[in-house]
Amino acid sequence: MALLVVPACLLVLALLIGPMILMFRISLNQFSPTQLMVQALSPDNYIKAATDPYYQQIILATLGIALLCTLLTLILAFPAAYWLGRMESRWKSLVVIATLFPLLVGNVVRSAGWMALFARDGLVNTVLMKLGVVSAPLEIMYTTKAVIIGIIAVVLPYMILTLSAVIESIPRDLEYAAANLGASGARVFWRVILPLSGPGVAAGSILVFVLCMNTYATAVLLGGPRFKMMAPAVYDQFVRGNNWPMGAALAFMLLAVTMAFTVFGSVAFARRYRTG
Amino acid sequence: MAQLTIEKLTKRFGTSIGVEGLDLAVNEGELVALLGPSGCGKTTTLRMVAGFLPPTSGRVLFDREDVTHLPAYKRATGMVFQSYALFPHMSAADNVGFGLEMRGLNASERKIKVADALKLVRLSHLADRLPRQLSGGQQQRVALARALVINPRIFLLDEPLSNLDAKLRAEVRLEIRALQQRLGLTTLMVTHDREEALTMADRLVVMEGGRVRQIGTPQQLYDSPDDAFVADFVGRCNILSGRRANERQFRTSGGLLLPVDVGSGERDDADAFALRPERIAIVPGESGEVRGRVQAITYMGAQTEYVVAIGDETLVAVRPTPDAGEPLAALKANDSVSLQWDRKVPRLVPQTLS
Repeated sequence: MALLVVPACLLVLALLIGPMILMFRISLNQFSPTQLMVQALSPDNYIKAATDPYYQQIILATLGIALLCTLLTLILAFPAAYWLGRMESRWKSLVVIATLFPLLVGNVVRSAGWMALFARDGLVNTVLMKLGVVSAPLEIMYTTKAVIIGIIAVVLPYMILTLSAVIESIPRDLEYAAANLGASGARVFWRVILPLSGPGVAAGSILVFVLCMNTYATAVLLGGPRFKMMAPAVYDQFVRGNNWPMGAALAFMLLAVTMAFTVFGSVAFARRYRTG
Repeated sequence: MAQLTIEKLTKRFGTSIGVEGLDLAVNEGELVALLGPSGCGKTTTLRMVAGFLPPTSGRVLFDREDVTHLPAYKRATGMVFQSYALFPHMSAADNVGFGLEMRGLNASERKIKVADALKLVRLSHLADRLPRQLSGGQQQRVALARALVINPRIFLLDEPLSNLDAKLRAEVRLEIRALQQRLGLTTLMVTHDREEALTMADRLVVMEGGRVRQIGTPQQLYDSPDDAFVADFVGRCNILSGRRANERQFRTSGGLLLPVDVGSGERDDADAFALRPERIAIVPGESGEVRGRVQAITYMGAQTEYVVAIGDETLVAVRPTPDAGEPLAALKANDSVSLQWDRKVPRLVPQTLS
């Protein structure tokens, strides 16, 4: 039976671990505008990524946006997840499919649609101006706002489904018991539902955080050319700048920051809610 | 402790009936059990009293206060759930203290009351355990302490014993009853277990299809059921359909004549003869008024069950297991016997068995 695992392991080894080793090696090389990649063994690219204000700013912006989006997604997803988790209707599976529906539309297609919606002469501005709500068109496109809205729309289904699975497993009687003991709706939430949703909050947040950190299409299409996040920056280095060593180093920085926050978050969370 | 009054309480789910026009008063310090098969509306009733479910119509009163529209968290009922519903992320002590915390007691006040409550259920030594580290019986006692520590106005028990094994159940039954009487708790209990209801309750409410069939003391319901459903539900019962033949006999649909007494307060539509198996005496031989043939004898330890065929009808008699040498000890299948009972004992009731 154990042999059956081999093909999957080989695939992962060949297509994930292999390239990562190669990338790591490349990240230690150096770049020259004339010769492009020069063989070397130096940490210069990492030092540059960590100290150069340009890259620092990209890393911090990416981290900030990812954390903010994760938090907002959590807050937005919880009521929907609760509703879905407590749903007893026979339409439940249909609602689950409806929740997944946005994922059927690719990020590029979705973002393109949003460009039409949010543009200076797009639907939102046209309607608002016609109604006299605003006198000049709102700047939505190519702002951080647009990117955050775009990212949340993409990751929301993941959070809702992860949370609702956990909420569904919390016996309804626990809510009744808390109410019976004098807890109002809000206190039932804070003292019973939220702590017991811990595993779902952790899993959903990690999943969503990783997705946010690696946002590409949404950032490029809704954020515009001046907006920088890590994934587009890596792409720029490889394709526009032909600077493979720097691109590889940035990719590893992205990986390292994502992993650090994920691990830190899970450990802190596990310590907070050591239940099971 | 308060008196609980339920007036014309009705709950409909869409077009189906949950509870229909229930009237009931539970006096201070009284334990009333709602008894019935699943789907009879007993749990729905309990949930409406606790405030988890809004009634379609009717009222719920604690003393003279109408609580029908009061949210559950303001009702101050203490409920023990069938699943216990202990908070899995809190220790036994924190579970017990939860209601006190919600009432705004500070930590030191809580500590004293929690310690008292845990002592009451003999669990002081396990205060720091999480629910999953406790046995079923211990969890049940935490649930009990948690419901009692808040000095509830009404004590509610939802099938409190159904998750315990048989031996523990008998023990906890007595324990809860003793506690309920000592503390004078006005209690509404839901159960589908007739033995539990008969042994614990001051009064029983037998429900079926959302309606009350009969309310009375265990003895009233056992000895004088209003209809065949109640007779059958509160204990084993021989129920034979037919009609009263004359002042001293009942004629079964199979044509068999059975001795009964002049019915006082008997309903005109009575079409069933109800007689408990332990009320039937068996005499070997063919001497008596009701004669039959033994079909099967089942030894059940302290008691023995005899299935006796009389014409096309079958009656079950349960007697204390006879000692060797007694006439019944020699009885075997196919022997002729006669059955006897005090003619005042059988009840003629409407047969509403569905």
